[in-house]
Amino acid sequence: MINSEVSILSVKDLKVVFSGFKALKGVNLEVGNNEIVTIIGPNGAGKSTLLDAIVGKSPVASGHIYYQGQDITNKSSHDIARMGIGRKFQNPNVYNELSVFDNILLALKGSHGVFSSIKAKLTAAKKDKIISVLDRIGLLEQGYAKVASLSHGQKQWVEIGMVLAQDPAVVLLDEPTAGMTADETYATGEIIKTIATSHSVVVIEHDMEFVKQIAQRLVVLHQGEKLTEGSVSEVQSNPKVIEVYLGREQIDAA
Amino acid sequence: MAQVIGQIQQSNFIPKKWQIINLVALLIFIVFPFVAGTFQTSLMAKLLLFGVLGVSLDLVWGFTGILSFAHGVFFTLGGYAMAYYLKLNLSATANNYGGSIPDFMVWNGLKELPWFIAPLQSFPVAIVAMVAIPAGFAYAIGSFIFRSKVSGVYITVITLAIASALTTFFVSQQAYTGGTNGITDVSKLILFGMVVPPIGIYFIILAFATLTLAGSWWLTKSNFGLILRSIKENEQRISYLGYDVASFKIFIWTLSAAIAGICGGLFVPLNNFISPVYLGVTFGTQIVIWVAVGGRGTLFGPVIAAILLGQLQNSVDRITQDWQLIVGIILMVVVLFLPDGLMSLLPKKLLASSPNNLEKN
Repeated sequence: MINSEVSILSVKDLKVVFSGFKALKGVNLEVGNNEIVTIIGPNGAGKSTLLDAIVGKSPVASGHIYYQGQDITNKSSHDIARMGIGRKFQNPNVYNELSVFDNILLALKGSHGVFSSIKAKLTAAKKDKIISVLDRIGLLEQGYAKVASLSHGQKQWVEIGMVLAQDPAVVLLDEPTAGMTADETYATGEIIKTIATSHSVVVIEHDMEFVKQIAQRLVVLHQGEKLTEGSVSEVQSNPKVIEVYLGREQIDAA
Repeated sequence: MAQVIGQIQQSNFIPKKWQIINLVALLIFIVFPFVAGTFQTSLMAKLLLFGVLGVSLDLVWGFTGILSFAHGVFFTLGGYAMAYYLKLNLSATANNYGGSIPDFMVWNGLKELPWFIAPLQSFPVAIVAMVAIPAGFAYAIGSFIFRSKVSGVYITVITLAIASALTTFFVSQQAYTGGTNGITDVSKLILFGMVVPPIGIYFIILAFATLTLAGSWWLTKSNFGLILRSIKENEQRISYLGYDVASFKIFIWTLSAAIAGICGGLFVPLNNFISPVYLGVTFGTQIVIWVAVGGRGTLFGPVIAAILLGQLQNSVDRITQDWQLIVGIILMVVVLFLPDGLMSLLPKKLLASSPNNLEKN
């Protein structure tokens, strides 16, 4: 462990099988408090599957996932979310038919039961929180716009905003900068660093520039297994990683 | 910072012009029975009731994305509860057979009133049953289908199966349900010792329609309504935000069935009978058509569509028997050219009241 004595999220020997195909073949992962763990790996390495298993989207064949010491393996998605694990998906998974404001409102931390949602009022505190999130993701002017009318990069921001509003202890981000310009990517990296001052963050990323900007600890997945982990320079000098990425520009350039 | 956004409207905000239109419409409906004849008053009461039945389907289909052909079932269950009450309260002289049990039971060889029907002699029990039986039935099947991983078109198929199965069941249990004929020749509704005239039933229905529309409007503009719409767009995403999608679906499904049940209960004193016809897929489809033609997710659309189509049927009926062909053509035209229904013909501004509209100063 790097930042903390006890890990907040702990994945032990995790196996996920899709009709015979072994997507994860026994992966271990520890995430400490307020730590950024960056996962890289070629396509099909099992990166998104790992996040899917953590949030209860993909059924776990064997192994365990512990959150704050509690076993959350194969719990329902909404229970896992309520416990404090938030997820941003690879393609912006936002509500196109709703306004940016409503998207953030839905994500706001709080009671999510049927009756509490009927009684819920848009309090000044909630409004302020939403406005501060909108400001943070630079979409204050577009707050009233339908998400469908936004650009791809802006939709990514909306989803990051949803994660901010949800305020989970562990933030899982699947390629948060896909489709963003270099400036937007950099700004996203700075936001992630701020998030990590009070949250634990797991990021899947391809862009090595971005990885270097944010990474504290790097985990390399390959064909459903963990190849290695360590600091950016340790990983880059690892011969196994070089072999897997042979000829890949990202690592060469790095 | 906050000044950039300006005032955030209350989520249950109703646009001024729309309020006025609704008030005028309500006034017209209040005056209507004094201007129109008894026939038109009863017809309009029936169409209003069908419109509210459409509203109940709109809550689950238009807002939540669950297409159901079983709303006729909930309607009919409520209807039977009321029909038993009215049938059992026929005075002995009014009852052709003079016996203490309804005619159809006599014909089918029953000697005494079955224990599960007997409590419906009491008005309060009948009123509770009218709501609780359809709602309880909906809760049971809703818990089953929404907690399992069944979704989308398969749910619709299950509702079709339920409609068919219940029709067969009610027809087969002739001694208890009156079979194909259902429960006919029921007594008039008596409240506070007075026979309620058609105009009285009209106003009961109008009050019920107004309350249901207002309540549904408020509900769908609340945070709860926002969650329903997000379930419709992408139910998986919202579960990752910590919402238990199934409990929201079960709630709105049960509420919707309760409304449909009350519609059925109010239908009987108006119609003087209830039969398994209303359980079937044909009537279930009719409700779907009101919602589709009026506009999904509009609440008012299904009421407008039920009234327009009903009045049209009433006029066309005199000329040709094939009014269903005309309804079919209208449905095709709407689906092709007005996919969002009649309500989409209204200027967008009139209804621009999406929750939490952020208006710039």
